[in-house]
Amino acid sequence: MTLSGWEALFFWVFGLSAIFAGLLTVMARNAVHSALFLISSLLSVAALFIILGAEFIAGVQILVYVGGVMVLFLFVIMLVNVGAEERGKDEIFNKPRQVATSLLFCLLLVAALLWAVSNGSRALMAKTLNPDGSPMAPTAQSLPASATHTSMITEATQLLGSALYRYGSLPFEIASVLLLVAIIGSVMLARTLKQEASAEDLAPEVLREEILKDPELANLEQLTIE
Amino acid sequence: MFSFFFHSCLLLLQEASGGRLEQSWEAFRHPDLSKFLVIGALLFIIGVAGVLTRRNIIVIFMSIELILNAANLNFVAFSRYLEQTGNVNAIAGQIFVVFIIVVAAAEAAIGLGIVIALYRNKETIWVDEIDLMKW
Repeated sequence: MTLSGWEALFFWVFGLSAIFAGLLTVMARNAVHSALFLISSLLSVAALFIILGAEFIAGVQILVYVGGVMVLFLFVIMLVNVGAEERGKDEIFNKPRQVATSLLFCLLLVAALLWAVSNGSRALMAKTLNPDGSPMAPTAQSLPASATHTSMITEATQLLGSALYRYGSLPFEIASVLLLVAIIGSVMLARTLKQEASAEDLAPEVLREEILKDPELANLEQLTIE
Repeated sequence: MFSFFFHSCLLLLQEASGGRLEQSWEAFRHPDLSKFLVIGALLFIIGVAGVLTRRNIIVIFMSIELILNAANLNFVAFSRYLEQTGNVNAIAGQIFVVFIIVVAAAEAAIGLGIVIALYRNKETIWVDEIDLMKW
């Protein structure tokens, strides 16, 4: 598998921008900036997916990650915004000893990566080249044009859909149950004390303690007792 | 136009040095599977560094998303590689990616629900101040 021409250029552009945006995600002082850099990193990876011929995955990445998950992240950042880190009062990283230890492990990962690349890439290249050293021809040639004649249609999405429902139908159903559990779980976790009290979901002794702190809860208790 | 630009750069660099540079220039012009794996691994390492070093629990969650995304990139790159070497089951890599994205979405929803509950009880999102279970 080798890219050439414009594909190679776009590979370098989006690959480097994915890495730099990822770095800035970790380094940014403001959590909102972190989220925006993560969005640009995810978009760059979606572009890499398109270069790799996985259009459906790229679309799902943009719709689900950028459109859904990151909006959720931004909502929560706005909800719990403490504001101290933007003003520069609080340290955003852990204590120096912990940071040094974790960076040591990251450097070990980098060393393992360099070792693996220097050993493995030559063997990989040998597998993708013909015996005379020329790159293998791609298997799918002369793709059909789309209805608007602006692009070529690959069969990747069709293949993915049929494989998903043919071989992955049981995991597909399990994933839907997982999403249901996630919906119910996040609703249950994010309830306020008042909502828990009015749903009669608090232990009586906890409720009595909380009424001492917040007398308004007693009204709710009255309601539930009646 | 584009290939002319490449070739003129190549000629300039060939003038400047010997054959080793030509080889790496060739690898730069034709990125293969290993370049995708390197980018995936770098994203993974950046994500791990974020999880280990940051104090803000929301940024830690975002670093986890970065790690999962690096795994997705590796899956899709290997899927393409196997497809071009003629493997009929190459599409399985993309199926894995679909399920990883589903699990990541569920994980983000649950995790952020926990963050909101935690903030309501402890009034903090710094992970080093959340030490209730530390012995």
